[in-house]
Amino acid sequence: MTEVPRNFRLLEELEQGEKGSSDGYCSYGLADPDDVLMYNWTASILGPLNTPFENRLYQVSLYCDDNYPKQPPKVRFITRINLPGVNQNTGEVDLRAIEYLDKWKSSYTIHMVLKALFTKMSRKESRLAQPAEHSVYASGSRPPTNQPLQRSTL
Amino acid sequence: MAGAPKRILKEIERLNRDPVPGIEVSSVENNIRYFNVIMGGPSQSPYQGKGAGGRFKLELFLPEDYPMSPPKVRFLTKMYHPNIDRLGRICLDILKDKWSPALQIRTVLLSIQALLSAPNPDDPLANDVADQWKTNEKLAIQTATEWTQKYAVDAWTAKPAV
Repeated sequence: MTEVPRNFRLLEELEQGEKGSSDGYCSYGLADPDDVLMYNWTASILGPLNTPFENRLYQVSLYCDDNYPKQPPKVRFITRINLPGVNQNTGEVDLRAIEYLDKWKSSYTIHMVLKALFTKMSRKESRLAQPAEHSVYASGSRPPTNQPLQRSTL
Repeated sequence: MAGAPKRILKEIERLNRDPVPGIEVSSVENNIRYFNVIMGGPSQSPYQGKGAGGRFKLELFLPEDYPMSPPKVRFLTKMYHPNIDRLGRICLDILKDKWSPALQIRTVLLSIQALLSAPNPDDPLANDVADQWKTNEKLAIQTATEWTQKYAVDAWTAKPAV
């Protein structure tokens, strides 16, 4: 079995994201278009119809470390949301609490993470009172974007 | 290594025995299809660099159906070039529709090196750079020269940031 290296895998995912998904409820791309090592991603999910999330746009950040896709991305809601599996204080997503993501496989993608979150929003157990629209988690709890990190400048 | 087609093993063997001048290719651990490349900037080009000369990092991957489909390759070093984008992706016909299984890692790398000598702003990937190249070539070449010095010459000797 040919193993696609992290960077080429993420380049493929970026191309998919740039093309846009046909389902239209989510979009994603790099948080910083100069991030050669593609650590920080930003995504948005449109809340499903006939749910408390309907007509709301949720911004999500994903951090793909050097071990992606062997390890899952770190996922965090920027927009406040009341959803099982999401930390109410920080927006961090516990992937183990999200159906389809609880046992991470390296074949899973950023798009699949977003799709699973969308599905989670559609579930009966997620019919919960929601924070005010457009409210966001305190910036201190956001993952650092544009961090200088080990970005190769060579 | 088990599972790697003979064709790939042959290419690696030849790259080791008879290296391409100015291009170093090394395997990345645990993946026989994945390579780090260091490419010297061609002389008489903005990528030549002063002193030790421009040395550009690339990564190259041979996908499952190689050689029926082309290698995937991109620059890791920041480049100012109309056919190379901000993520180092390269616009080159042989990496796309002009690929032929008769080509090899060696020929691909030589073609990329040739692209550094002959930027083609009429088939751009980085539109802003291509525009600069067409409207003020002198300034574009100056910028490419400066980037080369900063990212492909000086960066090799700079102390790593703590």
